[in-house]
Amino acid sequence: MQEKAEIRSKYWLAVFLVAAYTIPFGVGIYTDNVFFDLQWLADLTTVILNGIMQGGVYAMFAVGLTLIFGVMRIINVAHGELVMLGAYLTWMFFFYVGVDPLLALFITLPIAFCIGLLIQKLLLNAVVGGPELTPLLITFGLGLTIIHIVEAIFTTDYRTIPYAPDAFQLTETIAVSRSKIISFVMAAFISISVFVFLKLHRLGKAIRATAQNADVAMVCGINIFHIYMITSGLAAALAVAGGALVSIQFGFNPETGVLYTLQAFAIIVLGGRGHYIGALIGGVMLAVIESLISFMIPNGTAMVEIASYGMMVFVLLIRPRGLMGPKEN
Amino acid sequence: MAEAEIALDIQNLKKYFGGIKAVDGCTFQVPKGQISGLIGPNGSGKTTTFNLLTGVLEADSGDVFYNGENIVGLRPYEIFNRGISRTFQITRIYREMTVFENMLSASSMKIPVREARERAEQLMEFVTLTKLRGEYGGNLSYGQQKLLEFARALMTDPDLILLDEPAAGVNRTLLNNLLEHIHHLQEDQGKTVLIVEHDMNVIMNHCEKVFVLDYGVKIAEGLPEDIQKNEDVIEAYFGHR
Repeated sequence: MQEKAEIRSKYWLAVFLVAAYTIPFGVGIYTDNVFFDLQWLADLTTVILNGIMQGGVYAMFAVGLTLIFGVMRIINVAHGELVMLGAYLTWMFFFYVGVDPLLALFITLPIAFCIGLLIQKLLLNAVVGGPELTPLLITFGLGLTIIHIVEAIFTTDYRTIPYAPDAFQLTETIAVSRSKIISFVMAAFISISVFVFLKLHRLGKAIRATAQNADVAMVCGINIFHIYMITSGLAAALAVAGGALVSIQFGFNPETGVLYTLQAFAIIVLGGRGHYIGALIGGVMLAVIESLISFMIPNGTAMVEIASYGMMVFVLLIRPRGLMGPKEN
Repeated sequence: MAEAEIALDIQNLKKYFGGIKAVDGCTFQVPKGQISGLIGPNGSGKTTTFNLLTGVLEADSGDVFYNGENIVGLRPYEIFNRGISRTFQITRIYREMTVFENMLSASSMKIPVREARERAEQLMEFVTLTKLRGEYGGNLSYGQQKLLEFARALMTDPDLILLDEPAAGVNRTLLNNLLEHIHHLQEDQGKTVLIVEHDMNVIMNHCEKVFVLDYGVKIAEGLPEDIQKNEDVIEAYFGHR
């Protein structure tokens, strides 16, 4: 009986995703935004490529969120604020010290790791494993605090980092902005490194063990509070890396973090909460759908947000595990 | 015969869950280098005692001395790192990790990786799981999971091993295998083993000393053959005659 429900939910998720990918085309044809000539196809390819690259970066910081959820069952709604903080840190190093935004990662990532450790040690270790609402509210308060501190220092003005603005000509008709390519390559590199660490390193194994069963991990000699701190540090580093990589593509202000939190949630719900590869795939899939919508549907940018959060709701209804998440007990 | 040295000295241990007195002033001494059994009817507090000894549950009061140190109030990993290891009544392995990864997960960060891998290989050989090293924990049969959990409990070469119902759900051949391993640990390596078990054959044939719990209190202790004849024990199991 359960297996049947399982198969059915998989089937419905597939139907839903196919619909999500075809609807933009349908609406595009209906509103005369789809042309079947070479130029249009080249544009479409560009859009999809951009989506994939964007998705890579989103996926990377969503992995941070999914790690924290997977290991501690904590919903960290301040994750996007750490992304925003990453953007500001990068901006500061760029404008005040003149450090290249990518080289700045060597400084910002260790800082981020320490911020994550501290958040865990001072705020979350005391409440992990208890009622789920407490850590949720703590991170909510933390997120707002970060926003207002950044606002107090930097005002609400939008900031940008002019970095590799030129386009890379893939073919005569397909071009992708250089900063997007750089960001994607960096995000892929960081994501793969973290994956290899989790899979092969002993500490990574201990993190996975704690995620699977913290009680057993403890009687196997794993100090889970250390593991929680390392996980938080890692997640913060992923968020800040994400911030650095979006800062060279888009403008940002203290409020933008909220959008990244929501984006990361939509991704991990689609990919499966707590699942690493799921987050990566979910990130890319979501970003591609978004770029298809903004490309083919008139007034698409407004539709994009409706689509991603609508998708989150639907996936939760159809298949709460998402694409690859573990079975709910 | 001289009194055996004491491995674990449990003094007046208490744990209440609301109005239920799961463990209610339990006192006994586990002899060093022997296989001892902990028995009692369902709900007599055996597993709770195990959970208290390993820090999974925090005792309301009482003391547990291990090598002269009171280990009550320590976290499970701190107790584990002092050389006390356990298995569970219902196996708890990592279902989404391979057999080999399950083994490595119980190794201390302090020992070199190569040493940990070698030890894992030896122990898998010891419980005949080498062929399944790459298999996910969730795909193993229940008996194999028991063996894996047993082997994992030995990863750090603990001095005291607590086994919670090692015989439950395990077929005869596998059980004999497991018991052979347990004897080997005790006889050749001088380990202390404490077994919670419902299977009286296991207790009577393999334990040197038996403790009987009822309603969270120790009601008897002694040699297996004496325990079998003990009036209090018979009453606890079968009620008044």
